[in-house]
Amino acid sequence: MAALTLTVNGVSHTLEIPANRFLAEVLRYDLGLTGTKLGCNEAECGACTVIVNGRSIDSCIFPALKAQGADVLTIEGVAQQWVQEHPAAGTNGDELAHLHPLQQAFVCHGATQCGYCTPGFIMQSKTLLDRTLEPTDDEIKHCLKDTYCRCTGYTAIVSSVKAAAEKMRTGVLPLPDLPDAIAPLEQIGQALPRPDAVDKVTGHARYADDYLFQDMLHGATLRSAHPHARILKIDASAALALPGVHAVLTYADVPGELRHGLVEYDWPAFAGGAYPARYVGDPIALVVADTPEQAHDALAHIQVAYEVLPAVTDPVAARSPEAPVLHPDRPTGNLLKHIKVRHGDIDKGFADADVIIERTYRTPRTEHAFLEPECSVAVPAGWDDPQYGQHDKLTIYVGSQIPYADRHQVARCLGLPEDAVRIKGTVMGGGFGGKEDIAGQVHAALAATVTGRPVKILYDRAESLRFHPKRHATLIRIKTGAKRDGRLTAVQAELYGDSGAYASLGEKVMTRATTHATGPYVMDSAQIDCYAMYTNNAPLRRVSRFWRHAVGVCR
Amino acid sequence: MPLWKEYFTPTTVAEALAIRSRYGHDALFVAGGTDLVLDMQHGNHAPVMALVDVTTIGALHQIVEAEDHVVIGAAVTHAEIESNPLVREHGTALTESCGVVGGPQVRNVGTIGGNVAHALPAADGTIGLLALNAEVQVSTFDGNLVNAVWQPLLSIFAGPGKNNLGDNQMVTAFRFHTRHLGQASAFDRIMRPQGVALPILGAAANLTLGDGGLRVAAATLAIGPAGPIPFRATAAEQILQDAVALDDALIERAVLAAQEQAELRTSKHRASKEYRHEMVAVLLQRVLSRSIERARRDF
Ligand SMILES: Cc1cc2nc3c(=O)[nH]c(=O)nc-3n(C[C@H](O)[C@H](O)[C@H](O)COP(=O)(O)OP(=O)(O)OC[C@H]3O[C@@H](n4cnc5c(N)ncnc54)[C@H](O)[C@@H]3O)c2cc1C
Ligand code: FES
Ligand code: FES
Repeated sequence: MAALTLTVNGVSHTLEIPANRFLAEVLRYDLGLTGTKLGCNEAECGACTVIVNGRSIDSCIFPALKAQGADVLTIEGVAQQWVQEHPAAGTNGDELAHLHPLQQAFVCHGATQCGYCTPGFIMQSKTLLDRTLEPTDDEIKHCLKDTYCRCTGYTAIVSSVKAAAEKMRTGVLPLPDLPDAIAPLEQIGQALPRPDAVDKVTGHARYADDYLFQDMLHGATLRSAHPHARILKIDASAALALPGVHAVLTYADVPGELRHGLVEYDWPAFAGGAYPARYVGDPIALVVADTPEQAHDALAHIQVAYEVLPAVTDPVAARSPEAPVLHPDRPTGNLLKHIKVRHGDIDKGFADADVIIERTYRTPRTEHAFLEPECSVAVPAGWDDPQYGQHDKLTIYVGSQIPYADRHQVARCLGLPEDAVRIKGTVMGGGFGGKEDIAGQVHAALAATVTGRPVKILYDRAESLRFHPKRHATLIRIKTGAKRDGRLTAVQAELYGDSGAYASLGEKVMTRATTHATGPYVMDSAQIDCYAMYTNNAPLRRVSRFWRHAVGVCR
Repeated sequence: MPLWKEYFTPTTVAEALAIRSRYGHDALFVAGGTDLVLDMQHGNHAPVMALVDVTTIGALHQIVEAEDHVVIGAAVTHAEIESNPLVREHGTALTESCGVVGGPQVRNVGTIGGNVAHALPAADGTIGLLALNAEVQVSTFDGNLVNAVWQPLLSIFAGPGKNNLGDNQMVTAFRFHTRHLGQASAFDRIMRPQGVALPILGAAANLTLGDGGLRVAAATLAIGPAGPIPFRATAAEQILQDAVALDDALIERAVLAAQEQAELRTSKHRASKEYRHEMVAVLLQRVLSRSIERARRDF
């Protein structure tokens, strides 16, 4: 342990910290200043940007002891500092006037959507406006080069920075340039700030990892070392004996149904017992410990005996009769679904064509790359927290796109009636279709029930990438017949969608792909066959638009 | 397992080297940490007992002109170099190379000493310094005293990611000669837009023109990655210096010689060998013509 003295937002603190702590951890977890966000933990995304002695830094990799004696400014202190330096601010009755001009502009220009990137953007932009009040577009882009936003597309952010500069020069905040509405109503046709915008620009919006319960434990997940393997034995005794470790949970600890899912119940909460691990993201055990470090360190002490099975990682190969079968209890083998479109007489269509073009296309798997990695915090029924109050039910705080489906699946796995489970949908740092499946919700709920204490499960970026479903990789063979005048006579297509190890929303997505394979065109005939296949890859699902990208490319 | 257990913040070179020598292999210097912390987190570097922060040593933060040289302390950040007028005047290639490292947040903490000591053949700051024919000051602790010696920059590289500093040594400064009449330098690189810290290829040129700007009196060219350690295109330098007149044909010959001499490789995340081969030509043409244009302003 080492002593650290620093000033944060004008307040001096002295703390005892482990020498390897990073500044972001001190701010977030020791001082409770959770406005500083963690997106990548490797100096790439800028979500963790704070200002130390006047310079912006990525606090995720900044050893906290580097801030010894330093003056640190975080998103929570920006408004207050502005008002102190500009006593006239806030006196004109404007309801945003107590905020820094950058914060005002981000609210009014719609530069904060999910908001997870916003604190980093405001801190980083502030360093530019501290230097110049007439920033050019190029200077703004240069300044924000390594600060990432996955929602806004940056246009509103750049215009906000310019607007804030103008406000600081002239005292007037220019409003965004929007096309006039034909007949504006009270709400429709108006540039309304989002209701949570002020919370998001001040760092007060609470994302799941920002909930810090008293006596909270932390979970870490052991995932399969193989894409396809039977779990013969799990020996957690060495991990359990480690200081700080409260429990190691496996499939045998799940009181209700082991399997969950959105369309099909095919996804075990833990691999083991009847269910093999079917991709490298499958969880095998959850360690629950006093600190995240203890939980993660304990993973190496769990012994798992695997029987490695042959893996199939290609959707075409998965259809062969020789392919290893992932879900032996399914009557259709590795075929998740065969989706068909039949229209007109395809033979006649090609016979009528002047030109026939036949091509094969491949589209890659696509990652959602939401800026906030998944986090679930479960609080046991009956827990009374000094900050968050009484919890009458088992409650899970999670940034989820479909909280009701979470409730159903958690209740199912825990063997509880649905009304015994409450999902608190927190503010979510981007989802884009990637936060619909179960991530840590079931594990956290189970761990909280077993230990009787709040339990947080936070994934880092690497773990998030490894386990969570992505957009399908596809193989598309498409044959199109056309007349010389441009009319289409026939489209024949065969699509293979790699749906990965579990159904998730795979078949829904591939159904869209199939029905959109002809594009927006009228034609005499069509014959489309889509095979959504199980493979030993990460499960696949939608990214933002229910697919269509891939077939769009082929048109 | 904690990546380190103790964190030292020495204020003198002697103190830093004393701690580092005492711990031997079990301690590492850290400057900005932008290479080191990620290497440790990704398991490319084993955890150690102690980190010794060099940025708390006041003497390593200066940029001064002394005895016909610009001297830059090892703990000077890329951002400080980028905005320094002395460096811009005498070592434009370094201004330009440090100016493209990472983003502003990384440049605010990443140091020139860390960039060089990390010993990657493509490190941008290193390529800029190499073209300026810079020397590195290595300080050695013998148990009582610190002995600081200037040596050629290339002498401290042992291989990709490896320098040949001992447990009792550290980098304390760099220096390069102030500009002569008719001398100028330039740096450029080709980069993937996102996701990898190092360029596909970087190149820097430093030319001194004679005869009123019509011939090359002296040339140093640096390219990276073009071998296991940062690369000087000596064959091309020779061709430029030997020629009686500076024209397009000469540049063409120099470029061919550099392509010939460079040891290019295919790297999975950055580019193929063939692409790099083409880019050696593109980048050298660019940095040479920029250097010539700048140098001719003196005539
Ligand atoms: C997002 C991102 C983008 C990046 N982009 C680029 C880029 O575009 N171009 C580029 O070249 N690099 C890039 N880097 C790498 C890195 O930022 C630079 O190499 C930086 O200069 C390293 O300096 P540092 O002070 O952070 O070194 P540290 O990480 O602190 O140290 C690096 C190594 O040098 C040793 N060391 C440090 N100081 C001394 C000393 N005085 N004496 C002896 N040994 C010492 C350390 O022990 C360590 O082995 C990037 C990094 C990140 C995270
Ligand atoms: S840069 Fe620190 S969290 Fe991404
Ligand atoms: S608003 Fe920028 S990442 Fe969501």
